[in-house]
Amino acid sequence: MAAHLSPPPDPQFVLRGTQSPVHALHFCRGAQAQGCPLLFSGSQDGLVHIWSLQTRRAVAALDGHGGQCVTWLQTLPQGHQLLSQGRDLKLCLWDLAEGRNTVVDSVRLESVGFCKSAILAGGQPRWTLAVPGKASDEVQILEMPSKTSVCTLKPEADAKPGMPMCLGLWQADSSPRPLLLAGYEDGSVALWDISERKMCSHVSCHEEPVMGLDFDPEKARGVSGSAGKALAVWSLDGRQALQVHGTHELTNAGVAEVAIRPDRRVLATAGWDHRVRVFHWRTMRPLAVLASHSAAVQCVAFAATGGLLAAGSKDQRISVWSLYPP
Amino acid sequence: MAVFDTPEEAFGVLRPVCVQLTKTQTVENVEHLQTQLQAVSDTALQELQQYILFPLRFTLKTPGPKRERLIQSVVECLTFVLSSTCVKEQELLQELFSELSACLYSPKSQKPAAVSEELKLAVIRGLSTLMHSAYGDIILTFYEPSILPRLGFAVSLLLALAEQEKSKQIKIAALKCLQVLLLQCDCQDHPRSLDELEQQQLGDLFASFLPGVSTALTRIITGDFKQGHSIVVSSLKIFYKTVSFIMADEQLKRISKVQAKPAVEHRVAELMVHREANWVKNTGDKLTILIKKIIECVSVHPHWKVRLELVGLVEELLLRCSQSLVESAGPLLKALVGLVNDESPEVQARCNKVLRHFADQQVVVGNKAFADILSESLHSLATSLPRLMNSEDDQGKFSTLSLLFGYLKLLGPKVNFVLNSVAHLQRLSKALIQVLELDVADIKIVEERRWNSDNLNASPKTATQPWNQMQRRYFRFFTDERIFLLLRQVCQLLGYYGNLYLLVDHFMELYHESVVYRKQAAMILNELVTGAAGLEVEDLHEKHIKTSPEELREIVTSILEEYTSQENWYLVTCMEAEEMGEELMMKESSLQAITSGAHTHQVTSFLAFSKPSPTICSMNSNIWQICIQLEGIGQFAYALGKDFRLLLMSALYPVLEKAGDQTLLISQVATSTMVDISHACGYGSLQHLINQNSDYLVNGISLNLRHLALHHHTPKVLEVMLRNSDASLLPLVADVVQDVLVTLDQFYDKRAASFVSVLHALLAALAQWFPDTGDLGQLQEQSLGEEGSHLHRRPVTLGNSTTAEDIEQFLLNYLKEKDVADGNVSDIDNEEEEQSVPPEVDENDIRPDVEPPLPVQIQIATDVMERCIHLLSDKNLQIRLKVLRTLGGKCGDFLRSRFCKDVLPKLAGSLVTQAPISARAGPVYSHTLAFKLQLAVLQGLGPLCETLDLGEGDLNKVADACLIYLSAKQPVKLQEAARSVFLHLMKVDPDSTWLLLNELHCPVQFTPPHPSLRPVRLRSAPEQQNPYLANVRLLLRELQ
Repeated sequence: MAAHLSPPPDPQFVLRGTQSPVHALHFCRGAQAQGCPLLFSGSQDGLVHIWSLQTRRAVAALDGHGGQCVTWLQTLPQGHQLLSQGRDLKLCLWDLAEGRNTVVDSVRLESVGFCKSAILAGGQPRWTLAVPGKASDEVQILEMPSKTSVCTLKPEADAKPGMPMCLGLWQADSSPRPLLLAGYEDGSVALWDISERKMCSHVSCHEEPVMGLDFDPEKARGVSGSAGKALAVWSLDGRQALQVHGTHELTNAGVAEVAIRPDRRVLATAGWDHRVRVFHWRTMRPLAVLASHSAAVQCVAFAATGGLLAAGSKDQRISVWSLYPP
Repeated sequence: MAVFDTPEEAFGVLRPVCVQLTKTQTVENVEHLQTQLQAVSDTALQELQQYILFPLRFTLKTPGPKRERLIQSVVECLTFVLSSTCVKEQELLQELFSELSACLYSPKSQKPAAVSEELKLAVIRGLSTLMHSAYGDIILTFYEPSILPRLGFAVSLLLALAEQEKSKQIKIAALKCLQVLLLQCDCQDHPRSLDELEQQQLGDLFASFLPGVSTALTRIITGDFKQGHSIVVSSLKIFYKTVSFIMADEQLKRISKVQAKPAVEHRVAELMVHREANWVKNTGDKLTILIKKIIECVSVHPHWKVRLELVGLVEELLLRCSQSLVESAGPLLKALVGLVNDESPEVQARCNKVLRHFADQQVVVGNKAFADILSESLHSLATSLPRLMNSEDDQGKFSTLSLLFGYLKLLGPKVNFVLNSVAHLQRLSKALIQVLELDVADIKIVEERRWNSDNLNASPKTATQPWNQMQRRYFRFFTDERIFLLLRQVCQLLGYYGNLYLLVDHFMELYHESVVYRKQAAMILNELVTGAAGLEVEDLHEKHIKTSPEELREIVTSILEEYTSQENWYLVTCMEAEEMGEELMMKESSLQAITSGAHTHQVTSFLAFSKPSPTICSMNSNIWQICIQLEGIGQFAYALGKDFRLLLMSALYPVLEKAGDQTLLISQVATSTMVDISHACGYGSLQHLINQNSDYLVNGISLNLRHLALHHHTPKVLEVMLRNSDASLLPLVADVVQDVLVTLDQFYDKRAASFVSVLHALLAALAQWFPDTGDLGQLQEQSLGEEGSHLHRRPVTLGNSTTAEDIEQFLLNYLKEKDVADGNVSDIDNEEEEQSVPPEVDENDIRPDVEPPLPVQIQIATDVMERCIHLLSDKNLQIRLKVLRTLGGKCGDFLRSRFCKDVLPKLAGSLVTQAPISARAGPVYSHTLAFKLQLAVLQGLGPLCETLDLGEGDLNKVADACLIYLSAKQPVKLQEAARSVFLHLMKVDPDSTWLLLNELHCPVQFTPPHPSLRPVRLRSAPEQQNPYLANVRLLLRELQ
């Protein structure tokens, strides 16, 4: 019975029923999540499922992308408004308050790229949205909810980083200037100052296109994953210059998404090798390999509290794990 | 009737009669007077009262011996007069009282005179009537100190009568009269209530009688139960009314320290009692002794009315004499509490009313609040409870527990004062755990198995309370079922009023502490939760705040987690785990399975009993533990109601798993738990429950498949789920089937058998969900029809009235059929047949060349079959059989050839070689693997022969191999199975089966249908020694 000395870790539960590969996951944040925690999933067939984590069942399915793959999901801080991005070149804003499931607004996207959008929202009614722009290498910044274009960020002509693949918006506590991190097709990561509309720093991290990135403003450190076999950890110095901190070799190539847990202690990657890998964020020590899917994992997400991790896969299942609860 | 309305008229009539009576005192004259009196109106009578009374009193007073009969009639006449008139003079009242009492008094002794019972009764009634006829305040002046000697005389007289007379009528009358004399009469004739001073004077007067009255009444009350309940009830009533009057706190507190000098003669003054503090103390002490005696005797009195009166006694004494009888308060309360759970609903109701009244009034007994006394009593009861539970018999345990129940009920939320004391909680829990110890020596529980793992066809019960169908269990320390009920009520009350977190923590600790406590702790936990939900508890304390549903759910979740954890849910309950069976099967060992202690690669390492060989007792104990936990889950569901739906994700899988357990008891209890759950959660049936929560099940199945070594029952759960699902679940099923197949691929060598049954269930389910509309069904119908015709033909051919023509025709038909069978068919016949072929076949043939993507269900089926083909060559016979059954339904031809060539010879061979062994074996044989193998083969062969549509030769092989098992020497189960094989064979080929059976044993003599034919001779053995007789007869009966 030696084989059973340490059984492989199990997910806490698996959500079934999307009946289509899962491409995006997002835990509902904000006040609404307190009583009855919710998880959103976006799938290839264009549906957004709302899952109750209490009953572990789908509460509703939102159909707003005409059967085209949903690639990105995000809730606004109040928790009752959901953004979904689809391959139908539409970004929908859903009103979920009091059981309503209706599209209240939508943004027309100009590019068919793979790039997921990003938002920067605080308590104010106005918030910022970054979406892939009209030209293939552009990122467009919009002021929401008025949908007024703030600027378009286009790399200089000689840089040629290719398409943006993933975006991250944030604002340092000390400064009022919003910043944008973008991972590009050529494997590089760039930092943009939005108010000055200029690229502050640009660093090459991967050989392959960057598939996902996440940033820890407290440590001024970020991580990116690519189609290749490495994770790159980079940091930002006081002069807003990006520096590659180190790379971490993975067993198998291909990371679809990376996510740092809100308490910034753990990092998770969604692997094309069907596995979710968990690292200690400070030391980058590997902590666990979560194997329960039978196809590529395409997205990972952390709940704001409680240590829940969700992973969505091409095998149409969403596994939910309880990871070192704080 | 009243003819003479005016006194004048009446006087005219009565005068001669009265004179006559005064002159000659005879019974006749008295009776004459009484007859005349009946014609006189009440007003007239009142006017003439003294006049009429005179001759009567005169008769009584005349000195010298008198005949009893005369006295009796005089007393009766007197009583008649008094009942229609009032006595308005104090003097007359006193005189009549003395004269009447004297009738019963024998001057020589202090005892009642030895007179006839009729006379005694008449006098007692007379006295009673006299006291009632006293007009207005006259009655009060009667009770002056000077009357004391005479009154005392009458009281002792009546007490003596009540105590010593044989006639029940006299006893009752004496007691009633005593009640009247002591001014405690409850009739309507005493309208005025007494003022404080009057009460005090009377109290002083009656205090002299208290010792005599109370001791005498106590003797009556504690006398033989057979004296009848009404006497005890009356005595009890007089006892507490008198005591509560004389010892009333209201009166006593006003009594001055120094006795006022009574204005009476010395002799009487000596009799007078001054109720000062000392007297009260002494009397109280003495009364306490009597009260204890009374309670001890009456609380177990068989008649409920007596116990009901005891409640009255307690109420009256505690309400009115709580200061003076402070020493009795404890025993009185205890008596009351003990009756809270009385078997009579009237007593219970009264008790509850009184207790609620006490609680509402915040009654103070002595210097202590009611609740404090209860609390103290509970403390002391908790202290002695373990000892009492150890030493008392069932009756004793019952009363002790009733008492405990009463205290808990009364204390309500205040019970926490006691529970918060660690020492007391430990004592209490120790006693409960101790008394709830189960007797687990019953072997049958381990032995009884489920033989087929089929449906969950639990009949939908209407019960809504899980414990109504609770499994009967046996306890080591008591046998009375009522005690168990009471224990459960006690625990429920604890759960209702007590701090649930504290209690659950405490009993959870005990649950963990030792396997010796585990079952009891689980039982208690179950009841605590039920109680906490407050569904069964009658609440005396309306202000009490129950545990909130959220808290309760939280607590239940944690208990549930504990119950279903690896080490508490997967216990060894039998010796033969599947994998062990498979291994040993190769060795064909017979007795080894039962005696073998070597659990080769079993799951023992994870279990609570990690001893090398679990004893029957420990397995039994494990079975009970699982059952108790299962019942608990049912109770939790009941307690939470629809809220339990949120727990289904963790509860349903483990329960369903146990529903498929091999141990009969476990599977029964699990099934009824499922029923409880579906009731509680509002599902109409088990099927609904399973169907609508399949996602939770699938989650459990899929997670557990990852650790199959630990969860080898997982495939069973899927099987049950499949049986109870419908086509709407196809996506979920498709999802989990992938997991199953992947796991099967990993475990081909070890656990294939359990997987094959799942696959079988899966294909069956698919077939059912997507019914085949093609030609297959029709074919079956056809074959059925043919069978019918075969069976119908026989009676005709065997009929007695057969003519030569019939035989000729039959022969011709036969030859023709034979010709056809040989293939010599004319063209015309052929054409006819082609026309009869249904046209659908053609449609089926015309298919577009493009192959559309296979529907999900067909894809699943293909995947499954691929695995099955693989398993056909498995070295385990049982698996091969199962696979064959799985495939048999659909892939006929291919399988038939494989089966006949490879499988059948081996099956038949093993049956033949094993038959002599089983024929000789004893009863233990049925526990061996060899037996199970034989059984499985026999049970499997029949359906296979039928589905594979075997040819004649192969059928004969099967029949030959199974024939030996029809012998009465074989174990009964094998005989049954063999019979089932033949039942299937009959369907395939009734004629040859009939012949075969008749050759074994022929019950009827066949007479040829026509004299020209020779009689048939079958080579069957003679009846006496034929071991096949019984089974063959049964089978032949089926054939007819």
